[in-house]
Amino acid sequence: MNDQIEPADAARALSEIGRRREQVIRRTAVPPWFWWASAVLTIALVADIESQRGALFWAGIALYTAGTLAINGLMHRAVRGAPLRPDLDARSFPRVLAGAAALVAVVFGVGLATKLSLEAAGVPYPGMIASAVAMAALVAGGQMLMRYRTAFLVRQSGGRG
Amino acid sequence: MITPGFDELIHAPTRLSLVAFLAATGWADFAVLRDNLGLSDSALSKQLTTLADAGYIEIRKAFAGKRPRTSARLTAAGRTAFDRHVLALQEIVAGTAGRWPLPAGHPGIGEDGHGQGAPDAAIRLSRRSPCRMLAAGSDYQARHPADPARS
Repeated sequence: MNDQIEPADAARALSEIGRRREQVIRRTAVPPWFWWASAVLTIALVADIESQRGALFWAGIALYTAGTLAINGLMHRAVRGAPLRPDLDARSFPRVLAGAAALVAVVFGVGLATKLSLEAAGVPYPGMIASAVAMAALVAGGQMLMRYRTAFLVRQSGGRG
Repeated sequence: MITPGFDELIHAPTRLSLVAFLAATGWADFAVLRDNLGLSDSALSKQLTTLADAGYIEIRKAFAGKRPRTSARLTAAGRTAFDRHVLALQEIVAGTAGRWPLPAGHPGIGEDGHGQGAPDAAIRLSRRSPCRMLAAGSDYQARHPADPARS
């Protein structure tokens, strides 16, 4: 009877180990729904501010605050269940931080440029339209940033236990 | 420096998945492990107990409000054993080490008493780069459905 581990069996085991590592990395990324929810809340907030309707304004601010706290809480709860090992997380942190800073700069830049252009052209509700454009950039950029983080971490951790 | 060391306890398919998952995390909640590994409560409890008895993981029980919350993480010994096991697997794949013995009753042994091979392409791929086996889409769990320790 052959009682030895075959190379193919060892390769399958290594493949399974890589798959599980990638599973952990993916589940600790900011999920796509978070970017969409943030975008919807921000657009609603800007629309609320721009509409300038007394009592509704404060209700809108309260709803925005509650919504932001809720989506952040949900996201952190999901990640807290099995956070990425700190040394793995630390490898991607500087790059993700730089990417996030660049994303914020782009989102603000796009939003501001759009608002100023629309105002100059006399288009109504420039803030709301500009925030929609900026949030489109946030949704696209946020998801790209998370894909980059996942790919980077998978590449970095490949072959290690 | 970590030396290769094949670990029969870790190599059982369900435990391999569990330890590989834990190796990438800090403390992991019982529910997260159960859902991500697709195990029943009892199967996961059994595997956690086996690994805890071997000193490979530590288990923490706490309360979130009134609800009990169980978490697990690899110990230093468990992480070392896992790292050594990974190195041993890599050596087997690269063909730089002697064959390691299969644990008794391991599903990798077919009815004819021989190891169940994978397509030649998969072996060639794994010899070039074990990491690329991810891309080959091999599914270890799917090929080892009959883990006796899983029930």
